[in-house]
Amino acid sequence: MRVTVTNRQLSLSEARAFLLQEAAARNVKLEVYSSRHASTQIQAFQAEVSEFKLSTRQGVALRALVQGAWGQSYSENLSEAALTRALDDAVENAELVNAEQGAALQQWPAPPALDLYGEGLSGVTVEQKVNVALELERAAREADARVKSIPYLQYQDADMLVGVANTEGLEREDRQLYAMQFSCPLVSEDGQNKMKEDWQFTREFTQLDPTQTSLRAVEKSLALLGARPTPTGTFPALIDGEALAELLALYSVMFSGKFVEEGKSPLGGRLGEQIVNPLVTLLDDPLRPTGLNSRAFDAEGCPSAPLTLIEAGQLTSFLHNADTAARAGTRSTGHATRHGLQSGVTVGPSNLVMQAGATSPAELQRDFTGVLLTGVSGGHAGANPITGDFSLESEGFWLENGEVAYPLDVFTVAGNILELLSDVEAVGSELHDTYYAVSAPSVRVSKLAVAGGQAKD
Amino acid sequence: MLDQNLVSEVLGAARAGGADFSELFVEDTLSTTLRLHQGQVKEAGGGNLFGAGLRLLYGDKVVYAYTNDVTADGLRQLADAVAQARGGTGMTDRSGAGGLDFRRLEVKPLYQARQHPLSHGKREKLALMQRAHGAAAGVGDVKTVDVNYLDRIQKVLIANSEGLWAEDERVWTRLMVSAIAQDGTLRERGYYGPGAGKGLEFFEEKTPEAIGAEAARIANAMLRAEYAPAGKLPVVIGNEFGGVIFHEACGHILETTAVEKNASVFADRMGQAIASSCVSAIDDGTIAGAWGMVNVDDEGMPGQRTVLIENGVLKSFMVDRVGELKTGYKRTGSGRRQNYTFAPASRMRSTYIDRGDKTPDDLIKSVSHGIYARTMGGGSVTPGTGDYNFAVNEAYLIENGEVTRPLKGASLVGNGARDLMNIVGVAGDLTLGQGMCGSVSGSLPTDVGQPHLLISEITVGGRA
Repeated sequence: MRVTVTNRQLSLSEARAFLLQEAAARNVKLEVYSSRHASTQIQAFQAEVSEFKLSTRQGVALRALVQGAWGQSYSENLSEAALTRALDDAVENAELVNAEQGAALQQWPAPPALDLYGEGLSGVTVEQKVNVALELERAAREADARVKSIPYLQYQDADMLVGVANTEGLEREDRQLYAMQFSCPLVSEDGQNKMKEDWQFTREFTQLDPTQTSLRAVEKSLALLGARPTPTGTFPALIDGEALAELLALYSVMFSGKFVEEGKSPLGGRLGEQIVNPLVTLLDDPLRPTGLNSRAFDAEGCPSAPLTLIEAGQLTSFLHNADTAARAGTRSTGHATRHGLQSGVTVGPSNLVMQAGATSPAELQRDFTGVLLTGVSGGHAGANPITGDFSLESEGFWLENGEVAYPLDVFTVAGNILELLSDVEAVGSELHDTYYAVSAPSVRVSKLAVAGGQAKD
Repeated sequence: MLDQNLVSEVLGAARAGGADFSELFVEDTLSTTLRLHQGQVKEAGGGNLFGAGLRLLYGDKVVYAYTNDVTADGLRQLADAVAQARGGTGMTDRSGAGGLDFRRLEVKPLYQARQHPLSHGKREKLALMQRAHGAAAGVGDVKTVDVNYLDRIQKVLIANSEGLWAEDERVWTRLMVSAIAQDGTLRERGYYGPGAGKGLEFFEEKTPEAIGAEAARIANAMLRAEYAPAGKLPVVIGNEFGGVIFHEACGHILETTAVEKNASVFADRMGQAIASSCVSAIDDGTIAGAWGMVNVDDEGMPGQRTVLIENGVLKSFMVDRVGELKTGYKRTGSGRRQNYTFAPASRMRSTYIDRGDKTPDDLIKSVSHGIYARTMGGGSVTPGTGDYNFAVNEAYLIENGEVTRPLKGASLVGNGARDLMNIVGVAGDLTLGQGMCGSVSGSLPTDVGQPHLLISEITVGGRA
């Protein structure tokens, strides 16, 4: 075992200062991204806490710029020796990578003021957190005799600090906090098992309402019992906001300037074109107060601002970081992203929002006969962002003359996301948030291919 | 080295709140990631994952905490934090702490890397990638090629209050090629990404050229494919990564993580027939050099070969320490975690359906109208219901016992409890495929595998 009791671990700010100083001494241009994440997770099972998890994780991710090429590395070991190795690695990596036009470090303007910390968690006791998990469990367990167990439920909070600094003099930090809970009961009747979750995300602990979350989850799960075989065929469909948001999340990469640059996006070269129905407007809003991925600046320190991607069906922008923007002849939209310390800088959305429309939920469903799609899964494999095609395991109901006739046994829906958004006939007036950080209204589409059992007469 | 006295002190202090068991997991992982796009080096990264996790058990209840501060002070603080997590009740006297008599577990590596990734430079790894690129670029209609390389060397120490002391080094190497074939607006992707629990010598048996060529072959085959039909059809599923069907349809629900919460449709089916009699399935951590190989699991137990299903009958679950406490089934060396930020859970290793007595041809010939799903994408399952899905990357129509036209956009959905009974034929060409499996204890390297097999009826989610 070569794990050693290491030399002193530096604090994040000491590590940042040490790295920038070392880089300056070597005449290397360097960006240091740092993060600290302190979190509590609590699960309960049968009226007891079954799992309690406390964590603190911190580290630095480096990008060295050597002759127009980026080299990356990261380290969770904050001893001076480990940081020196990380810097060596970043420089070595830069020497291997092909130089890219537009690669540069910048001293960005100041980010907008954004309070994502709320009242904080300092006054919240462990007992209060434990009670949330216990209450989630109790409420679900006692809600209905058909609730067999609650296999998945959790209280979770996190206190996060993110910083970006570079040798051009940039230095900024952002503090965030959230508390969230989810409940996923398993219900059973006549040999049929069903499971559906509900959740709540907030910046204020006191706003959590575990009873409501669990009761909604039970209600959603029970609604799925009594499922009947799904007909096979092409039907009109009502796609609820949650399911549509899940679909949009699978295709957000189409808007990435990097994906476009590498010739992988079906939207490449189509800026300004009408790509979907005029009822569709899509934006990315990093400043949304209730957004899961809200932030004042991106992974390069560039200030955040809302950005319209599709305006009334017309493609108006891609997402960019500094590099992809420079090569596309535009300016960064503030969408440099890191998926944790271990992944490099790429391009990605923050909070995607499809704008709500004018049709009330009742109006959307009036006299409707067809499929009500309430969820899709398996998107990491069944959705192809290069073509827009999808074929996905689904969950939903058969609607007859505007009324739910019965829930549907496991089935798939297949199609193409751009064709689907072109087939939109009406857009609902209520927005549904999801934990994919995508929000969408319910929509009615003229047709959707469904595969289940026998063809419907 | 971490001092045994310090570890002993930390394990004791962690139990100061009255826990029955404490376990320390220390990890120092170095990784390298490289990416080529169109033959140009676009990304070079990697780094050092470094931290320690401390787990306490109060009966079968778990308290887990982790930190990156792997110093004596950092570990002492961690021990205090976990001891107090349940409100600091119970035993507070620390006099019982310390003085553990560690039994050093001699971890025998099942495989020793001959070309250790750390002893080879990045330029050498880039050269392997360029060979893969060369074998895919420009083949047929392939216009875009991405090659990703990954190696990871994870060193771990696992020590617990029962006196266990186990150290292990795990080496993983993988090459992934994505090829996009394009003709006008038609565009399809082919992907192939094998890996192993080996060093760079892996690429002598599975050459970069072969990996690149396979990705290009799939992309070209699918470029002019028609949309798959929709509905219930017989399906012949290819070998290697085809095993993802068993992984999703059945594997996850045989992990005690699902069984112990009554979230498995197979929870009370031990000893019963849950699959057709031509199906035997195994989860094996002891295949030397396999992607899912486990010298010791992340609870310090040597890996095992576990027969899950024998001739259709459920024989064993995959069991970790907490799973044993909750279900009574013996541990099977299946306690795994992505890294120190996760408590271990029962997870798959190399999971496969065993050889049968048919040939792939026999299976195809027996189908009059159906689908040949030759290569698979990933999938997922809802354990409580057994409903699962997985994507087909490369599919063909079978008409009158012959493979005819290529098909795209097919995913398969079903229910594990039902569909395992519908496996009616198993061929003899067992091969393993490599993937990353995500679940409660993170994302792990696992093999899936099977010979070609025939399912009499499964829902195909096409759009034609």
